Amino acid sequence: MSSLLSVRNMSINFDTPRGSLEAVRGVDIEIPAGTSVGVVGESGSGKTVMCRAAMGLLQGSNVNRSGTVVFDGHELTAMSKEEVRNLFGSGMAMIFQDPMTALNPVRRIGSQLSEGLRVRLGMSKADALARSKELLELVRIPNAAAVLKSFPYQLSGGMRQRVMIAIAIACNPKLLFADEPTTALDVTVQAQILQLLRELREDLKMSMVLVTHDLGVVAGNTDYVAVMYAGEVVEYAPTKKLFADMRMPYTEALLESIPKVDHKSGTRLAMIAGRLPDPTDRGAGCSFAPRCKYAQEKCRNEHPELKKDLDGHLYRCWFPIGEAK
Amino acid sequence: MAGSGTAHMRNTVDSVLTVRDLTVEFRVAKDKIVKAVSGLSFDVIRGETLAIVGESGCGKTTLARAVLQLPPPNSGEVVLDGTDLTLLPKENLRSARTSMQMIFQDPISSLDPRMTVHQLIDEPLEIWDRGTRAERDERINNLLNNVGLEPELVLNRRSYEFSGGQCQRISIARALALDPRMLICDEPVSALDVSIQAQILNLLQDMKDRFGLTMIFISHDLAVVKAVSNRVMVMYLGKICEVATPDALYSKPAHHYTKALLDSVPIADPTRQRKTELLQGEPPSPMNPPSGCRFRTRCHAATSRCAEQEPQLQEVAPGQFVACHHPIV
Amino acid sequence: MRKFTKPTWFAIGWLGLMMFFSLFGWLLPFKPWNYVFEDDLEVGLFSSGHILGTDSNGYDLLSSAVAGTRMSIFIAIAAVGLGGLIGSVLGISAAYLRGKIDTVMVTIFNVGLSVPNLVLALALVSVLATNVDINQAVPTWRRVMVLIISLTIVLIPILGRIARGATLSWSGREFVTAARSMGMKDSKIILRHIVPNVLPALIAVAFLAVGVVIIAEASLSILGVGIPDGASWGGMIARGRNDLEYAPHVLYVPIVFLALTVISTNHLGDVVRSKLDSREAKV
Repeated sequence: MSSLLSVRNMSINFDTPRGSLEAVRGVDIEIPAGTSVGVVGESGSGKTVMCRAAMGLLQGSNVNRSGTVVFDGHELTAMSKEEVRNLFGSGMAMIFQDPMTALNPVRRIGSQLSEGLRVRLGMSKADALARSKELLELVRIPNAAAVLKSFPYQLSGGMRQRVMIAIAIACNPKLLFADEPTTALDVTVQAQILQLLRELREDLKMSMVLVTHDLGVVAGNTDYVAVMYAGEVVEYAPTKKLFADMRMPYTEALLESIPKVDHKSGTRLAMIAGRLPDPTDRGAGCSFAPRCKYAQEKCRNEHPELKKDLDGHLYRCWFPIGEAK
Repeated sequence: MAGSGTAHMRNTVDSVLTVRDLTVEFRVAKDKIVKAVSGLSFDVIRGETLAIVGESGCGKTTLARAVLQLPPPNSGEVVLDGTDLTLLPKENLRSARTSMQMIFQDPISSLDPRMTVHQLIDEPLEIWDRGTRAERDERINNLLNNVGLEPELVLNRRSYEFSGGQCQRISIARALALDPRMLICDEPVSALDVSIQAQILNLLQDMKDRFGLTMIFISHDLAVVKAVSNRVMVMYLGKICEVATPDALYSKPAHHYTKALLDSVPIADPTRQRKTELLQGEPPSPMNPPSGCRFRTRCHAATSRCAEQEPQLQEVAPGQFVACHHPIV
Repeated sequence: MRKFTKPTWFAIGWLGLMMFFSLFGWLLPFKPWNYVFEDDLEVGLFSSGHILGTDSNGYDLLSSAVAGTRMSIFIAIAAVGLGGLIGSVLGISAAYLRGKIDTVMVTIFNVGLSVPNLVLALALVSVLATNVDINQAVPTWRRVMVLIISLTIVLIPILGRIARGATLSWSGREFVTAARSMGMKDSKIILRHIVPNVLPALIAVAFLAVGVVIIAEASLSILGVGIPDGASWGGMIARGRNDLEYAPHVLYVPIVFLALTVISTNHLGDVVRSKLDSREAKV
C-alpha cells in the first residue's frame, strides 16, 4: 500500500524565554492511502504541533524544524510557501477542535463556504453558492438554505463543526487532518460527527488523520493508531492489533486509567502517578520511566529506540509488555 | 408548571440536602425566557455521591449554582440540614454557605491569579476567623498534604505556575478548609488530561471517605460518573429523566434518552463497536421547550400522549425511577 | 532590573524630569518666569543668560517652560486621578452589582461621553471662572479648579467604562463564585479580588489619559480659556503666537516640552499594557 503522507525524522522545537521547547522529537509516521490513522496523546505529546507542521501551518521566527514531509509524491519541506498553499483544499484539509474560533464570526456561513470554491476552483458566485448548499446537505445540516445566511454565533457547536467539515471537504481533499474534532462536543453530538466522518470518508475516498486523546474514539474510527508521548511516537500498529496486543506500558496504563461504562462501580480507578513531562526539560532515558510501573535501571538511563515487530507493530520500550522482562 | 414528580425522594432524616420544585429561569429579551431548570426535586443522603448527568444545556450547572443560591432560584425550596436556604436573610445565608463548597470545571480560573497558594487557602479561614495565625498555618499545611501537595514547594507560588491537575488539588484543599458537609463538584475533571483524571477522581473519593463528605458530582461523561457515584440522575432540558443506581442505569436504562447517551459513548475496544441507531438532531431551545415530555421530539417511541401529558417519575424497578410514558422494559 | 528599551528609558527619564520640575521647579535657581527682561527681547536659543531664549515680551522661555510643568502636570494628574477614582468606583460597582444599577450607570456614562470636552470646559469656565467685567482678572486657582472639574467630568465615563468592562470580565471568573460560596462579603470581594485585577488595565489607560488631558488643557489655554498669563505651556503658545514669523523658537520651546511629555506618557501607557497582556497570556 503506497503512502499518501510520509513524515520522516521530524523534529520541531521552539525558542522560548525558558529555553528550547522540544515539541516533537524524531517522529516517523506513514499514512497509507485510503486509511484513517489515529494519533493519540495528551498535553505535551506533540500531536498537534506535528500535524500543523505536516500541513505546513507552523509559522513563527522561533520555530526550528527539521525532517521531511512527503505528500502524494511532493516533498513539502522543500517547497515554497506558495506551492504548499496550493495543496490546501484539494490535497490536504484540516478541521479543528473549536469551530467558533476557526470560523470567521463576522461573515455569513455561505460566504465562508463559497470563498474556497471561488478561489480554488474558480467557480462563479452563483455556482459556488449552489455548491455550498449541496455541501451543507452532504454534512446533514437541516435547513441548508437558512444556514447559508446565518452567522456562526447563531449555530450550535455541533452545527458549526459540520460547517467546518463542509468547508474542509469542499474541494475534495485526499487527506483530512482532524485535530480533536469532537473534544468540545457533547457525547451524542460526538457520535453523530464521528459517524458523519466515517461516511464521508467512504463516499469521497478520503484518508484521515484523527488526532485525539480519547482511546475510545480511535477504537471505532481508525485503521491504524500512533501513540505519542513527550514528543515522540511510542507505539504504532493497526488498531485491532494495538488493542489486542499492547506493547507500551504507557498505552496500557492509559487504557486502564480511563473510566469505562462497563467498569465495576465503586472501585478505585487505576491511575498513572506523576505528571506529564516538561517539554523544556527532556531528561535522559525513556520519557515515561518516571511514571512507569515496570521501569528498570536501563529505562532511566538509556533512551529506547523505535523497534519494529515482525508484523509491523512499532514500539519504543526496552521491556515491552508481552515479552519476557 | 408541574415538575417531574417526587417519587424518587426518600424523605429520611438522613437527608443532607432536599430540593423541592426548583425552578430557574432567565429573561434574555423582552419576551424570551430561558427555562433552565423546571420544577426539579431531589434529595441527597448523608455519605452519598449523587451524580447529575446531562449534556450542555440540560441545566445541571444552573442547578448547582441555584442550590448554592448563587444566584437564588426563582422558586422552590433548598433544605440543607433542616434549614431552607431560600428563606434565609443575607447574613445567615452567608454563614450557611460554608457547609456547602464547590469545585469548578476550569482549574486555573478557579484561583485568583494574584494570590499565592497560602493566601488562597487561608482566605476562607480568615473570613470566618478560624483560629490563630499559627493554627491556621498548620491547618493549611495539613490540607495541602491531604491533597498530595508538599506545602514547602507550593505555598508561595501562584496559580499560573501549576498544571491543571495541581490547580484542582489546590481548589479541593481550599474547599475542604471550612469542613463542609457537602461538596458539589461541577465537571471537576473535564478540563484535565486523561492520565490525570484518574488521580483527581481517586483523590475526591479519598477525601470523601476520610472526611465523611456527601457529594454531588456533575458531569457529562457517563464513564467518569459510574466510577464515583452511588446514585445517578439524568437530566434533559431542565427536567429529570431517570434516577437509579449506576449498575441499574448502565445495564438496564429505562429512559430512551439514557439509552441514547449510553449508546453514544465510544468504547475503547475495536472488537466491540456498536451498530446502533444514533440519536439524531439537536436539543430544542430551552426558550421554547416541547410540551409534555421534553424529549419527545427526538424519541422514536413518542406517541400523542407524550405531547399532551408530562410524564412523572415512577418506580420501574427497585430504586430505579423513570419519567416516561413508555419506558424501556 | 527588567529589560527596558532605550525609548522606554527616555520616556521614564523625561517624565521624571517633568515631575521633578513640577514639584521642585520653584526652588531651583531659574529666573522668575514672569519677569520681563526688557533688555533681552526676542533673544534666540543658547544666548548667554537665557538658554532657551526669550519671547517678544521679554519672558525667559526656560523659566516659563519649567513653571509651566507645574500647571500642566498638576492639572493632568488631578483630573485623571479624580476622574479615575470616581469613574472606577462607579464602573466597578455597576458591573459587579448588575441589574438596574448597571443600566442606569451605562446611560450616565453614554450621556457623559457624548459631551465634547472642550465645549464643556469652555462653558464651565465662562460661567464659573470669568468675571462679568472682563477687564478684571479671575484668580488663577479658580480657573485651575474649574478646569480640573470639567476635565474630570469628561474623564469619569471614559475610565468608568474601562473599569466596568474589566470588572464584567473578572466577575465571571470562577474564583469570584468560589469567594462568594465561601461566604465572603461582596464589598470584600470587590476590594480583594476585583480591584487588584482591574487596576493594571486602568493604570495603562490612565497614562494615555494624562497625555490627552495635557493637550486638552493646552488647547484651552491657547483659546484663552485656560490658565491666564501664560503660566502653562498652552499659555506660552498663546502668548507667543505673534512671534511665529520672526522668532519661532518662542513657540518651539513649549511645543517640544508638550510633545515630549505626551509621547512619553503614551509610550509608558503602551509598555504597561503590553506587560499586562503578557501576564494575562500566562493566566
